[in-house]
Amino acid sequence: MQRVAALCTALACLLVVAVLAYRPVTAANVQEVLIGEVLPLTGNFASLGQQYLWAGQTVEDIVNNDYPDLAVPLGPGKGFPGLGGAKMTMVVRDDQSRGELARTIAEQLITVNKIHFLNAEGTSGNTSIVQPIAESYGIPMACHPCASPTLTEKGLKWFWRTGPHDKTMVASVFSFLREWREHGGPSDLKTIAFLTCDNLFCQDNRKVASELAPQSGFKVVLDLTTKTGATTLASEVQRLQAANADVLFLVQYPPETTVFQGDAKRAGFMPKVLATSNGAYSDQTWLEAQKKTNGGVGWLGRDPTAIDLVHDRPSWKKVNEIYKKYSRGQNMGELAMREITGLLWMADTINRAKSVDPAAIAKAAAETNMSPDQLIIDYKGIRFDKSNQNELATGVVTQIGWDGEKHTIWPWEMAKRANFKIIFPSPSWQERDSKPKPAS
Amino acid sequence: MTLLLQAVINGLQMGFLYALVAVGLTIIWGLMEMINFAHGEFLMLGMFGAWWLSVSYGLDPLYSIVPIGLAMYGAGVLVYRLLMRRVQRGDPFTQIFATVGLLFLIQNSAVAVFTSDYQYLSNTMLTRLSGSTLHILGINIGVPLLIGALLALVLFLALYFLIDRTEFGLALQATAEDREAAMLVGIRPQRMFAVAWGLGAALVAVAGCILANFFAIAPQVGFPFTVLAYAIVALGGFGSILGTLLAALLVGRDPERDHGLPAPAFKDAFVFGSYLLIGLLRPQGLFGRF
Repeated sequence: MQRVAALCTALACLLVVAVLAYRPVTAANVQEVLIGEVLPLTGNFASLGQQYLWAGQTVEDIVNNDYPDLAVPLGPGKGFPGLGGAKMTMVVRDDQSRGELARTIAEQLITVNKIHFLNAEGTSGNTSIVQPIAESYGIPMACHPCASPTLTEKGLKWFWRTGPHDKTMVASVFSFLREWREHGGPSDLKTIAFLTCDNLFCQDNRKVASELAPQSGFKVVLDLTTKTGATTLASEVQRLQAANADVLFLVQYPPETTVFQGDAKRAGFMPKVLATSNGAYSDQTWLEAQKKTNGGVGWLGRDPTAIDLVHDRPSWKKVNEIYKKYSRGQNMGELAMREITGLLWMADTINRAKSVDPAAIAKAAAETNMSPDQLIIDYKGIRFDKSNQNELATGVVTQIGWDGEKHTIWPWEMAKRANFKIIFPSPSWQERDSKPKPAS
Repeated sequence: MTLLLQAVINGLQMGFLYALVAVGLTIIWGLMEMINFAHGEFLMLGMFGAWWLSVSYGLDPLYSIVPIGLAMYGAGVLVYRLLMRRVQRGDPFTQIFATVGLLFLIQNSAVAVFTSDYQYLSNTMLTRLSGSTLHILGINIGVPLLIGALLALVLFLALYFLIDRTEFGLALQATAEDREAAMLVGIRPQRMFAVAWGLGAALVAVAGCILANFFAIAPQVGFPFTVLAYAIVALGGFGSILGTLLAALLVGRDPERDHGLPAPAFKDAFVFGSYLLIGLLRPQGLFGRF
């Protein structure tokens, strides 16, 4: 009997201690909001990870410091006002571009570092490996630049994406090609060939393009998938030459794009239209390098924003100035813009939730309704559908001009504002060599 | 027929460059029987060195071959003396882990120093010629790649004569074959191993100087070449310099065009499938002596 009494007393004491010790995670007692960032800072996708890191540092700076004139969420004021001025802290980890390592790190961030939100991983393939971890622990997670449609088609409860996916963006390219005929473009573009790499991102693009090409009146005459890390694409170029498609849809990362360019130049191969999607076309260093060779002139591709028009936005300019503090002077590319837009949405959501409790964050995320004027990018706003995909994320089509810069050519009303004459057909290699280079 | 010849010529040009990448490994792995997974990182250092000398001092990558080759020879000797000599007598796994560690050390150091941005060379002797092609019998031969390939061939042949036709080369081979017997005739094995590492690092870095004209330069650029180099050395035969050249030409040739295979995805399958086949039928490789 005495033992039972002692046990009951001990349990009662424990209960009292637990009640006294329990403090709900409310606005008053949150000192800092921990954001876990799993990024490919080394390995194959390191150049992407680096841009995401700078984007994260930019958002941390915007949230934690006072920018009174900056018209983006949490620009004015310090910290999260909804959480009593709590600071944002990014906990950044490098996964070496390896999915399994990303998964392990994500688990450590959740269980050891006790992060409140997970931002991972920047590439669709590795993100899909991390997703089950966030889902099983019930931690909100996002990957804004990830473009694979499958990421938001799995019915996950804890994953959000503010950026457009490939279905939206590749559809932009095919909408442009289809409508171009009615807007003074060539009417004799009938055939298309695909040259895509072998990972999830490239193959998702390929699948979407395979569906859309026939709907847009194109006959697919060649469909080549190449290995990521290919050191020569000479035979692929030969096959493309033999197929003689009017349009080449190319989805490759910068190293393979460089290999393709070298082999295409040696073979004297250039299709009438070279359309692309992300990959090298979104890589700032590749774009800069093209200014020395005219190698990218006439390439057209999908972008989530009209990069030539966005410079007019005052908030873009200010955010870009902050970004340049971390990027060694580089301007924001579209990938960084997608990431910053997404991270600012995340900060706004946590602020509106007034709590770091996952359920409260999820509720605030579902209630998101951001207008375009709060964004640094050309989305029509941020509002999520049932799959937690931003249904207002849009794509534009741009083309690289002789000045080495991207110019908006679709949607047509934006193209009118951009006032750029579409380059057609894609210039031959001789013409590229003979014309002055913007960076020389 | 023209297309077939074009594919063969394209492949041969790449094959010569692959040969130069692989020959360093032939010396270290094939001849001296030491494993080096950081081989591609020496190539990457050569590429970054050529890029840095070009951007900072306007030195053309083809001229950079000399200073970078010498510097990387020293680096190779240093790697042997500080690291590999200590793990040489241990389990092969020790060598594997040591060189994998070295791989990450060099790669991540390159990220820290050069960042992960892709770098491109655009105003070099070879890139300025990038539009030039020779037309022979309806076949297009890109001049820059042809020059690169010929340069690689010259270097390769010089090495072949050094290893196969000089006393020094024979001493190197003797050390590889029987270290104790070599010692009895006055050869100092440690020195031979150090020289082998120096030569291996220098040769692949020189290949990097040439390849920097054709590829995007990044800290991760080395790995695909490491994989190819291992396949080439194993295919050509351990310790055979000439076998390496022939295997590289075989690997360099794009197989799917001239063999009518269905997709480019079969390219690597062809290379590694050939290696497996040779491994089964002739484990020492096509021209291996050991």
